[in-house]
Amino acid sequence: MEMNSKMRLIYNEKGVVADLLAYASGLVEGRIAGKYLLSGEKLPDTVVIQGFTRKGILAGADVDIDREASRKEGIDLAFYPRSGRGGPRPVGSVALADLLKSASRKFDAVDVEPDDPAVLLYTSGTTGKPKGVTLTHRNFNAECALVEELDLLREDDRVVLVLPLFHVYALSSGLISGLYLGTTFTLVPQYSPAKLLESIARTNASVLIAVPSMYMHLLQLTKARKTTIPKSLRLCVSGGAPLSLATLREFEEAFHTGIAEGYGLTESASAVCANKSGERFKPGSIGPAPSSVRIKVVDEAGNELPAGEVGEIVLQGALITPGYWNNPEATAEAFHEGWFHTGDLGYADEEGFFFITDRKKDIIVRGGFNISPREIEELLSTHPRIEDAAVVGVRNSRDQEAVKAFVVPRKGETLTERDILSFCAENLAGYKVPKYVEFRENLPKSATGKVLRKELREELRDERLIFRE
Amino acid sequence: MKEVRGLGTLLEEVTKKHKKKQALLFEGHEVTYRELNENANKVANGLASLGLAKGDRVALMLPNIPDFVYCFFGIQKLGAVAVPFNTMYKGREITHILNDCTAKAIITLTNFANLINEVSDEVPSLEHVILTGQRTLVFVSPDATVNVQMVVAKERFGSPEDAFRVVGEILVDTLKSFGVDAWYKHRGGVRAGGRKIGTVLVSTVENLVVINALVFLGPLTMDDFFRLIWVTPEIKDKAVEPMTSVEEETGSRPDIGAFKDALLAQLYETLGIDVETGQLKRDELFGYEKTKALATRN
Repeated sequence: MEMNSKMRLIYNEKGVVADLLAYASGLVEGRIAGKYLLSGEKLPDTVVIQGFTRKGILAGADVDIDREASRKEGIDLAFYPRSGRGGPRPVGSVALADLLKSASRKFDAVDVEPDDPAVLLYTSGTTGKPKGVTLTHRNFNAECALVEELDLLREDDRVVLVLPLFHVYALSSGLISGLYLGTTFTLVPQYSPAKLLESIARTNASVLIAVPSMYMHLLQLTKARKTTIPKSLRLCVSGGAPLSLATLREFEEAFHTGIAEGYGLTESASAVCANKSGERFKPGSIGPAPSSVRIKVVDEAGNELPAGEVGEIVLQGALITPGYWNNPEATAEAFHEGWFHTGDLGYADEEGFFFITDRKKDIIVRGGFNISPREIEELLSTHPRIEDAAVVGVRNSRDQEAVKAFVVPRKGETLTERDILSFCAENLAGYKVPKYVEFRENLPKSATGKVLRKELREELRDERLIFRE
Repeated sequence: MKEVRGLGTLLEEVTKKHKKKQALLFEGHEVTYRELNENANKVANGLASLGLAKGDRVALMLPNIPDFVYCFFGIQKLGAVAVPFNTMYKGREITHILNDCTAKAIITLTNFANLINEVSDEVPSLEHVILTGQRTLVFVSPDATVNVQMVVAKERFGSPEDAFRVVGEILVDTLKSFGVDAWYKHRGGVRAGGRKIGTVLVSTVENLVVINALVFLGPLTMDDFFRLIWVTPEIKDKAVEPMTSVEEETGSRPDIGAFKDALLAQLYETLGIDVETGQLKRDELFGYEKTKALATRN
């Protein structure tokens, strides 16, 4: 007990960020017997308490930090050493490097059935907790075949993969389909417009898989910096959220490329169809149904609707999930007579091209009229002083729905509620004009850039908080 | 359509065709199809050595790094089920997913060890936490952060699990002495009202336990830091866990001296430890200087 009652204190009131590493490692190296043998003293258990005189970041060796900005901002930088093994190891864990060190390079893939689950991907609905979408080997095989059929990726492509692989779009249409075809991927672990542009130029990329906000950022960046625009892209794929026609055209022209806008869901192992730039391009469409997928538009009773009529988009094909993991209720709700109900509203034209109008659950009902939030959003996005906008339905005290617009003004611009309302009144039927307007600096968005309406409706509890049991 | 093949087999077939072709380019490194396939094999063997088998769910919480690809296909080769999820998820989101799929293992970045540690007692199925990569980020700022480190013999606090608890509780009591309603969450999370007010990480090396704790005395404004690390505006608030500080909880910020005194008082009260102020000895200074030089070189 005698030994345990004493500890040494090192009080470093005016520390810098590198001290976080240096003290611990000095103490450890001093203690590990015989390391340097300089003093030969027996060293005590030690506590270090330290404050900081300057701002600082301690970062892993793989973190991408703007060093120039750190000097400008007066923020100190320190990096963990890259040495993989041998250092302190968080308890209760295994290091992947250690696990692989002794493992054999040979392994024959275990036999699986086509309908065995390969991946579970969790998606958040507007209500309830995220559901696990079961995707089978069959589903991914079908997506590989579809990407080949739509000619999105080819064997000799060099593809920049900046979208997160935990999302179905990058995982399925990108990584798995590309490896199946034998393409080469550039992995970008941390997105910034500059880093993406640099990756495209450096690798002479032929395909970019991205979301609308990235195409907008790239355009802004090349305009602001007047940099040389790489012209190597033969094709760009956009998905995750709708891309405005203006951005699409501008990007195609600036980068000498074509953009294919895809449509798909986690439940369909990513892309189902695509609207490809070129002869068969139709503005605003998601393209025709490919040979391997059946798409139709149905009414509430499940009857197929004629061309031009808006109903729910339903899907059938080898791409479609067998259902939600351990959730037969949600699965039963999504499938009717073998058709997967997407929850997206849309229509087909006479030539069999599909168009999405809205998410079914986002439709605002006011005085018996259906209001499309997307219609109002598209109008607002044409306003020269508006950067971004989202429209949701909010309920008043009498449980009636009213239209609320969230508006992000362009940098340096000011807008008033009256500006917005009169602009809407000039262009929309009276019942569609928002009742409420809120200005924001940005909109909450998902990893693929889709506006998170749930958060705007303020229904969301902060899932990131941890509470006492 | 062609005959359906398992994703593991699919990689094997394409590797036969494209052995030496580049599959992945990553920060100046090239990975050929053959190397990718071999790394996936190693992962499959490694996971099998931990007792994982066909049908088991293995969670992946990784950004776009080659390890993601190796692990994904390693899992496929084993016939197991990959469960990749958003690297920005926190506490309850992670708990929900791991429990819903009864994941047996998770492969994630070393810097998420804390996050997983904290929820692991609520995920009974989770047997293995596998860590990789070097993407840790720690922010410090005058008046906002104070750091407490301990380097002690393994026996001092009992098991590493006990070290987490003992140090967590000392920090909780220290914070309580300033009027913060703090509480200790499993393995390293010190919280006030659901938000993070401090973290503890316990590591082991040879016969030593290294404890590293950070406590927020005042609000940490993140905007300066985000000028150095580019994050899209809409996800900025998601990139970090909701945090709070002594100042935000109580209206006043103790200075570092007051924090030191309170912490030492707790060490004495709870553990009967008496501290004596000292300096680094020669052997230690040597390691200190060397590490500092390595950490800050450009």
